[in-house]
This record gives sequence, structure tokens and C-alpha cells, in this order.
Amino acid sequence: MTSPVGQPLLEAAGLVKRYGGVVATDEVSLQVQRGEVLGIIGPNGAGKSTLIGLLGGALKADAGTVQFDGADVTQLPAAERARRGIGRTYQIPRPFLGMTVRENLLAARYSLHPFARKADALAACDAVLARTGLADAADLPARTLPLLRRKRLEVARALALDPKLLLLDEVGAGLVDAEVTELITLIRSLRGQVQGIVIIEHVLRVVRECCERLLVINFGRQFAEGRTGDVLASDDVAAVYLGTAGASGSPPQREVAAPMPVAAQALAPALAPLLELKGVHAGYGQARVLEGIDLAVLPGQTVAVLGTNGAGKTTLAQVLSGAIRPSVGQILIDGQAVTGWPPHRIAALGLAQCMEGRRIFAPLSVEENLQLAARRVPPAELAERLERVYTLFPDLKQRRRNAGTSMSGGQQQMLAIGRALMARPRLIVFDEISLGLAPVVMDRLYEALAALKRAGMTMLVVEQDVERALNIADQVHVMEHGRIALSGNAAAVRDDPRLRHLYIGKAD
Amino acid sequence: MPGLELVASGLVGGLLLGGMLALIALGLSIALGVMRLVNLAHGELLVGGAYLGYFLTQATGIDPFAGLGVVAVAMAVIALPLHRLLVAPLAGQGMEAPMMTMFGVSIVLQNLYLLAFRADTRAIDTPYAGRPLQWGPITVPLTYLIGFVVSVVAVAAVHLLVSRTAFGRDLRAASADPVAAATLGVDVGRVHALTFSLGAACAAMGGVLVGTAFSFTPNTGATWLLVSFAVVVLGGIGNVFGTLVAGLTLGVLQSAGALVLGDGYRDLVGLVLFLLALAFRPQGIVAATAR
Amino acid sequence: MSDYALELGFRLLLLISLAEAWNLLAGYGGLVSLGTASFFGVGAYALVGLANQLGVPPALAVPVAGLAAAALAALMSRPLFRLRGLYFTVGTLALAEALRLFMINNTAFGGATGLFLAGDAPSLQSLFLMALALLAVTTLVMALATRSRFSILLRAVRDDEDAAAQIGVRAFRIKLLALVVASWLTGMAGALQALKLGAVEPYGTFGVQWTVAVLSIVVIGGQGLRAGPVLGAVFLVALSELLADWPALHLALNGLILIVVIRFAPQGLAGLPSALAQRRGRR
Repeated sequence: MTSPVGQPLLEAAGLVKRYGGVVATDEVSLQVQRGEVLGIIGPNGAGKSTLIGLLGGALKADAGTVQFDGADVTQLPAAERARRGIGRTYQIPRPFLGMTVRENLLAARYSLHPFARKADALAACDAVLARTGLADAADLPARTLPLLRRKRLEVARALALDPKLLLLDEVGAGLVDAEVTELITLIRSLRGQVQGIVIIEHVLRVVRECCERLLVINFGRQFAEGRTGDVLASDDVAAVYLGTAGASGSPPQREVAAPMPVAAQALAPALAPLLELKGVHAGYGQARVLEGIDLAVLPGQTVAVLGTNGAGKTTLAQVLSGAIRPSVGQILIDGQAVTGWPPHRIAALGLAQCMEGRRIFAPLSVEENLQLAARRVPPAELAERLERVYTLFPDLKQRRRNAGTSMSGGQQQMLAIGRALMARPRLIVFDEISLGLAPVVMDRLYEALAALKRAGMTMLVVEQDVERALNIADQVHVMEHGRIALSGNAAAVRDDPRLRHLYIGKAD
Repeated sequence: MPGLELVASGLVGGLLLGGMLALIALGLSIALGVMRLVNLAHGELLVGGAYLGYFLTQATGIDPFAGLGVVAVAMAVIALPLHRLLVAPLAGQGMEAPMMTMFGVSIVLQNLYLLAFRADTRAIDTPYAGRPLQWGPITVPLTYLIGFVVSVVAVAAVHLLVSRTAFGRDLRAASADPVAAATLGVDVGRVHALTFSLGAACAAMGGVLVGTAFSFTPNTGATWLLVSFAVVVLGGIGNVFGTLVAGLTLGVLQSAGALVLGDGYRDLVGLVLFLLALAFRPQGIVAATAR
Repeated sequence: MSDYALELGFRLLLLISLAEAWNLLAGYGGLVSLGTASFFGVGAYALVGLANQLGVPPALAVPVAGLAAAALAALMSRPLFRLRGLYFTVGTLALAEALRLFMINNTAFGGATGLFLAGDAPSLQSLFLMALALLAVTTLVMALATRSRFSILLRAVRDDEDAAAQIGVRAFRIKLLALVVASWLTGMAGALQALKLGAVEPYGTFGVQWTVAVLSIVVIGGQGLRAGPVLGAVFLVALSELLADWPALHLALNGLILIVVIRFAPQGLAGLPSALAQRRGRR
């Protein structure tokens, strides 16, 4: 480890970024010394990508400063920061689709050295392509690259700038073990060529093997900081990832909602499933995300779908709502095939969804958001449903006339759940409702879910917070790389060592 | 500088015109706000309404303001299949293709009008057409005042529709986040079709007002299109109340420009303001409500 | 060549040049402009000014008049480029209309009647050759623009302006260069038209028909494909000759074809063979 000489390469102080009622970045300060690899980790929705955007210049901070290589770059836009030597990759790769791989790099090269000799520019780009394992794809249109190679292209393109600092935004997501090894080798090889690297990562193996120091972000704030080994060994940090303790700090109540008794589960096969997925493959454009998903939800059951970032959970939720059409396979509701149905018709069948990111309608008030979800309902019935939601979530009643997005993240999540309830659904899909929420808030949300469960609601919970999901679910499926890697009832899965392996990356 | 009467009348006339501008621009605003559709045929839909009003009055002798409802409904009905055939199939292909298609529609309509009705300048006559209204130093045509009242009522009605009804909720949700709206059960395709229809109906009503207050030919659509854009951008896209304020403002400013520079510069003033607004404040001068 | 052929040829050459210039902006730069008429008109008026006031010979006046159009583009670039996507498109339309109205009302530039070109008009033969020269210049410029490093930067901005910024591309300067070049070419075409007509007036030179023509050519012929503008221009000129006696019908048909092509053959005529092959392959 090199000892820092002189000033830090990058220094951010008191960075703040707000979106409406949500504070995405809350007074974050960090330093990157020359020759250092800093890792930034934290659960999904913690504000990591916002932070990269603030450092790279794509986002303007509401407060705080950024110093790079001794100069204040706070007011400089992304292009200027890039020219000074900050290279940044995007979490979801954004290659220039209409150009070849080599041209993507040339764009970076020519923007910095517009009068370079063509031969020199090409040589430099080809060298970078060789280093990032893309030499064979140099003449292919970027559009044809599968997702994983696009990630390499992201890194290559940033490297073509000869940057002093490299900001890597979740390059490891969605890679298999062997590819992660290659990625780690690549990052290590970069150490001599750039003066500093910041790695934002969800795949902890990458940060463990590449970073000297780690910064943990939670709810947009700095949660922990220190040497990699220390941070990863900390129980607090593990809790942040695997599931929070109850707000009081004591282990969460195990029997918040009793899972279906075993006897009932044995009878279950006799009941026809309310929702069924058969052999579903789905993806976006070139990228195939879901590979052969079989899933069934019985009436009154709570099924949890777990998995790390990039495992395909959200794609699954989007397939269920009808936003994405499966390329292969069937979706059945009550035995009726609804594959390829438009979303509003699926909703009409009684499938309600709390979408990831809440998706509250900003131009509508809280009450209007709720009213919208109750389709063609007579006024008396509508008023009754509203009252029920307000009883469940008094916070919403207080703010019924306010704009939907003016509330905190937790309250917006309550609104999203309330919206789902207004439709009197037969099945609710909860897509990552715990994202970026404080434990106290999550307690309340899951109490509400438990109440729903007791009332007999059928639920599919897609969740990042493993503990909470296991507490409420009857049946659990754990996804990895677009497939279901582990299934069983909640108790069985909880005790399975493979669960921790899938998340943290090493069996205990 | 012209005398007090001229200035006062000019400004008040401008205000009344501005009210009409709001209705004229409204259809464009909601189509843009809800469907992200740049309706380059807006001017031709307006002129179409003018022709409808003209022939309705000619055939039945009914007062054009009284026949406004008929014209609106007729245009709404015509607009539905137009949307279904031309715009709906292009959904999900970005904004360029529908915009160019509407450009094509505007050319087709302009020349259809030319072929069917020839290039004659027409105006919708009313028995009180020439009668001025006098109030102190201010003199304005009566038709301006009636047009103003009609416009404000229509704009208010649309505002109520958008802010108080279930359809209005669906419309606002579909414009903010169509994917989420669909997941919650909103038939976004239907919302778009009805929005387009509503926009066309507003344009048609505006056309009748233009026909009574001024005159029209098959080609006058282009100028009204651009003035409408000016109002839409100044008022904030999709903001009904903003459209009203922007219309009034633009009407007054245009009249002021005409007073100072000469009547031929009226439209030019509007366009220059438009370009300035685009450059410095594309989100509009009126802050959107409910934020 | 007969006079008729020269006339037709002149029109064709002019339209192809205009279409190529538009394609540079829209196809390669992602900047869809409906303001062709602005630069066309400025070029036309500038030529008359140069010839009448300063006695500049045509061969020199045409490129200089084009520069006047380029100067307008540079002037309007800051406000125009603050606009993204559809705002930009509408902004260009407004600019064209504003200029037209300004010219109609401004007596310094001849008002609604316009200005006449002093001196003798060049022969049809030399006009044709000048148009040919313009096309040659345009083709050269397009070849340079589409094969050079500038093309890479421009396409990067078109594909993803934010990602381009992230790798240091100063998008404004790139877009400015594209706009200035395209408007120079467009201005020269306008200057040639002024030379041919021997007069300029607002409706003909700043009117929307030039924008319509260019749009039709590119959409019908095929955007971004080399053969596109040529096919489109030939088709358009042929159509207008066929329906020369029925101008309104011609334009209406023009619009209808535009709508149909957008809907059913978005690749245009040039892309038709591959589109048909795809369809057959699916069956």
C-alpha cells in the first residue's frame, strides 16, 4: 500500500443532493489518495449511483464541494471533468450503439486529442481494447454486444481517456464467478495506469480483493468507513446487507406472521394456483435476463423472491405486470393465460403491484393517487376503501391533499401499498419495498404486510432484505443470474448455507 | 405615439385576443403534455374548425357561437379515427415519427382545403360582426368580447375536466408515468385517443373564433400553429391554467408590439417572444401547480 | 442538353444538395431541423445584396452568400442548442417563420415584393454547372464529415449526449460545427435559386415549401443511406412534373406519401429492398 503523498487525488466535502422530498445524498465527504483503490458499498437505493454522478459531474450537487487534483471542480460539467482526467462508467452500460467498439473508444480519444495522428489514436485504442479483452470485437457494432461485453466496453471507453481517476459504477453486477475473477484481474492491472480508482460495488468479492479502504453508504449517508477487512467483518455492516434488526436493535420477532401451517401446505397442491409462471424467458432487447422461470403462488400464500442485484428480480416483476413480454413461456392467472396481455388488462384481473421505486404520480395529490387505483368504483365504495387505507396508514390521511411526491420515501411507499389495496386485488406483488428505507419505517411497512397476510391476502414479495422476507413468507425462491437457484419453505431456506453464500460470497 | 384611445383599445383588444389565444393553443398543449405529440397539423385542425363553423352557419343560419358545440363534437369525432390510423400505430417509436406524420397530415389538409374550397379568404359573418363595443376611451369589436368569454369558459371547463374528474386523473397520471399508470389499470392508449380528440375539438373551437374575429384561408394554419407554440411554451407544457395566463400575456404584448411597430409586426413579436422563451425558460413562465 | 432537361437537372441537383445538408444535421447529428427555409432564404437575399450593392460576380457571391447563412446559424446556435429534441425542431420552425414575417414587413429588404437582381442573369447552362459544382462540394463535405473523426464525435453526441459528455466531448461545439456547415450548404443553394429566378421575395424563399421538399426527399428516399437523397429527389421531381398542372393535388399527394412511408416503410425507398427481404424472410 502506498502512503499518500501531498494532497488527495479526489476530495469531496459535504455533498448533498435532493430529489423532491427525498434526500439521495446526505452530507457525504470522502477522500481518495493517490495510488489508492476506494470501495463504496451499501444496499440498493442507498444513493451510491447518485454519489458517482456527483463526483463525475453528471449531477449538480445542491451543496458541498469536489476537489480534484488540487483544483475545485464543483462547478464544472461532466465533459470538463473528463478532460481533466476523471473517467466514469455507467451502471447500465451506455455505449454509442450506432458505432463500432473501436469507434466508441476513438470518440473518447478524439475528444481529448482532436489533432492526434490517426495511427497514434488507433494504436492507443487498440491497446486499451487488448487490455480489456475486446480486441476481437473491435469492428463489431456496439449494438450487437451482449450485456457483459458492454460492461467491458464501458471500462475501455473510460480508459481511452488516459484518466487519472477511474470511477467504476457496479461493473460486477450480473457476472458469473469466473468473470468476476477476470474483472478483478483487470482492475488490479489498472492500478499502475491510473492514479486512483473508486469502485462502487454490490459484488462484495470485488471490493474485498481490490480495495484497500471501504466506505459504506446507507440512506444517502456515511454509515461506516475503514480498512476493507475491518468493514466487511463488522456485524453492523452485515446487518445492513442481510436484513436489519428491528428498530430497537433486538432481533426481529420471528413470528410476526405465522407461515402457513405445514399441514395446510401439504394440502396446498390441491388448490389451484392463483398465479403461475411456466418456463418464462424474458429480457430487454439483446440482453436475456430471465432463463426458464417456474413459479406458482397459491391463494392465501405469501411467496418471497430473493436474490442479489442483477439476479433478475425486477425483470420478473415487470414480466408479471405486463410491462415486458416473455419471449418464451406462459403466465397464468387462475388458469387463464395472460402472456402478452397489456398491463391494464392484467390489473383488471386483480393483480396489483407496488412497483420498484414506488412510481408515485407527482402531478396528483396523495388522495388522487389512491382514487386512481380504484377503477370504476361507485363513490360510496370508494370512500370506504379510502377510509380503510387511511386507517392502515394514518400518515397518508394527514397529507391527503399534498402532492404525491412531497412526502418522505417511507411515506411514499405507504402510498404505493395503499394504491395497490385500493384496487381490492386478489394478489399483490411487492417489488423491493424496503429500498432505501430506515429500519423503523420498514417495521411499520412489514407490520402492514403482516396484517394483510392475516386477512388472507395472496402476496408475492420481491425483496432485498432477506430477514424480513423470510419472516413473512411461506415459500421462498432465491434467484441468481436469471434462474431460481434455491427454493423451499421459509424455514428450510433460512437454515440453508447456500443462502449466505449467494449474498456475501463465502459460506460461513 | 398613438393617442390614449388607440393605446387603451389596443391593449384591451389584445387582452381579449389573448383569451382566445389560450383556447387556440390549449389543444396543442394537452396533446404535447399528455402524449408527447408535437401536433404539426394543429393549425389545419383549427382551420378545419373554421370551415366547419362557416358552412354550418351558412347552411343553418345558426349563430356561430351557438354552433360551437356542434363543431367541437364533429371535430372530436373526426379526430378519433385519425389518431387510431396515423398516430396510435407509431406508439413507442419515439417522438419524431408521429411529429413528421402530423406534418404530412398538415400538408394534406392544407391542400385538400385548397382543392375543396379554393384559396378564397373567408370569414364567418354575424349580424353584429362590425359592431364595436364602447366603454369610455376603449373601443373593441363585440366579437372579441364574446370570443374572450367563450374561450375563458372553455378553458375553465377543460381545467375542471383535468383536475376534478376521474378521466382527468387518468390523463395526468398517463402523462407523468405511462408505464406505472398502465400497471395500475389505466388504459393509456384510450387516454391518448381521447386526449387527441379533445385537443382537436379545442382547436376547432379556436378556429370558429378566428373565423368570426378575423378571416381565414387554407394556409392560415401555419401562423396559428406557431403562435400556439409560443403560448404553450410560455405557459408550460400541459399546464391548462398556465396556457390561459400565457395567452393573455402574449395577446397584450403582441398588441403592444403592433402599436409601437405597426400592425404587420404583430405576429413577429409573438414569434420573437417564443424564441426568447424557448432559449431562456423552456419550462414556461408560469410555475406548475401541485408540486 | 435541352432547356427543359437543364431546368429539371438544376432543380434536382439543388434538391439533392439540400437533402444531403439536412441529412448531415438530422441523420448524423440527430438534430431534426424544420428551418431549412431560414438558411435558404438568407443565402438568397445575401446573394442579391452582394450582387446589387457590391457587384460581386456570381461565382464568388454564391459561397459568400452561403457564409451569411452560416453566420445566422452561428448567431442562433446558443439559443437553439439549449433546446433538446422536439424543442429544437420547433425552434427551427419558429425561426424560419420569424424571418419570413420580418422580411415581409421590412421595407429595407424589399418587403413583400422583394428585390430584383440587377444585371444579367447567368445562362441556364452556367446555372446548371454551378448547381453541379454545389453538389460536388456537398458530396465532398459529406464524405469528409462522415468519414472523419468529426463524424465519430458527432455520432457520439447523437447517440447519447450525456455519455458523450462523460468522455469529454464538448457537445455544443460539435453540434455548432455541423449546423454551420449544413447551413452554409443550404445558403448556397438559396443563392443559386436567387440567381436563377433573378429575384427574391419572402414567400418563395422563406416559405415552408423548401422545408417540406427536403423532408419529403429524405423520408421518402431514406434517411442516413447514401442513395436515399438521390432516390428521393428523383421521385419528388418526377411527381411534381407529372402533376405540374395540379399544384394542390401534387402537394396533397406528397403529404399522403410522406405519411404512408413513415408508417409502412420507415427506411424509405432506398431501404425498401432490405425491408422487403426482411418481410419475406419472416413468412
